[in-house]
Amino acid sequence: MEIDKKKCVGCGNCHAVCTMGVIYVEEDGKSAVNQDECVECNTCYRVCRSEEYPPWFVRALRKVLSLFRLGYLAEVDVCPTGALTLPQLDWPRSVRAVFSDPTTVHPGTGVPGRGTDEIKTNDVTGRLREGDAGLVIEMGRPGTGAYFRDIEKVAMALARLKPHFERENPVTQLMVNPETGKIKDEVLNEKVLSAIIEIKTRLERIPEFLQALEGIQKEIDTLISVGVASRCLADGSLPHEAWVIKAGYKLSPNGKTNIGLGRPLFREG
Amino acid sequence: MTNTLHRQGISESLKNDYVIFAHTAKGITRDGSAPKLREFMRICLKYQPGNIGDGKQGNIHQDDIDIEKLIANQGDGAGAAAVFTDLDTLQKVVEELIRADLGISINISGLLDEVQACCRKAGIERHSAEHSLGFWGARDRLPEREILEFNTMCGHGMVSFNLIRKLIEHVKLRRLTPKKAAKIMAKCCECGVFNPIRAEMLLEKVKKGER
Repeated sequence: MEIDKKKCVGCGNCHAVCTMGVIYVEEDGKSAVNQDECVECNTCYRVCRSEEYPPWFVRALRKVLSLFRLGYLAEVDVCPTGALTLPQLDWPRSVRAVFSDPTTVHPGTGVPGRGTDEIKTNDVTGRLREGDAGLVIEMGRPGTGAYFRDIEKVAMALARLKPHFERENPVTQLMVNPETGKIKDEVLNEKVLSAIIEIKTRLERIPEFLQALEGIQKEIDTLISVGVASRCLADGSLPHEAWVIKAGYKLSPNGKTNIGLGRPLFREG
Repeated sequence: MTNTLHRQGISESLKNDYVIFAHTAKGITRDGSAPKLREFMRICLKYQPGNIGDGKQGNIHQDDIDIEKLIANQGDGAGAAAVFTDLDTLQKVVEELIRADLGISINISGLLDEVQACCRKAGIERHSAEHSLGFWGARDRLPEREILEFNTMCGHGMVSFNLIRKLIEHVKLRRLTPKKAAKIMAKCCECGVFNPIRAEMLLEKVKKGER
């Protein structure tokens, strides 16, 4: 994101809206974006609608109000002068927007943002079959963002266990070699709002993978949201539950359910 | 909306929070999905959802969004979502979706046992399900629990910690009503999975100094 210095009046509204908290006021009293930390999610641009006031008008109004010891308080979700500006992003910086902006459809997966289908279409794709477990390791969430150099560390640690990295996943598509988990060098210093490492393994290997994640998480300075999924048995029970409990972890009371209305239904064997 | 499964809160609060979404599979159900997604949205709309939208066009809490136009403009795409705050309504939506037999994948995020019971009541057994194993990594960077309850209601994490803090402060100072503050939060979440009704309930408690 960029801020037009000629227009900005330093109201600070975009600072709070910024998902990464990386917009700040410079010495000149105008806002600026820390470009290293900005993930190009464009939330500030979309949420802070422009009131299209001329900057001179807002500044003059402020001066007049200050004479009476009053302040100018714009509504929370506006940019009074429309100073937020969408930049033209070139590779590899463009990867930030592809992962962080949900209005951008990923060219490889056809899913908006860093999203993946995981179990959402399992009824028609058979992505997870009987005996399979799916692990979704979302790095950078909630609210911290993640550099690909950290995402690579986790991917490489898990790759040692020889999982199947889901092909229709934006992180897998940035891997040089899914057997090692190595990610393209040119994107390693790019930061995204979050990115999901998605792997498939056998149910009985859940404890092994969680243990590996337990080890590598200490080397990462960001948050990781972890999810585990499986195809239900005929009676509706979830085979992954026993393995997660056996590994010593607690399952959330809430989660996501594919209710199986997709057609044609995937048939195993 | 990939990780609507990480919504935080006590069970009592999560009882008011169900996201139902249609999702299409590339190469299987995506081509020709436009009329099915439109029908999905029409069915959800009939039951007055707290939120409804899709990642491409936004949601009903954003400026200048006309839901009828949003539905009419729905093309072949990844999906659409709606939020409901009680199980009875969710039950009716699920039953109508079964009758409509759209052929696209339907998912529900919410309390897993309640969703399973809802499916059984409607005469179906759930197909697949996913649990959250919580937050790992640099846990010292987690915000306060109250902030997480709002932030995790957006599957893409678009409602920033700082905005939530600012809006809570505005509600406490009575500069904003809980309803208006919840609407601003919902505006940030493109896909329409943020639950402004639950957010408003949480903010009402903040206003009364109960949280």
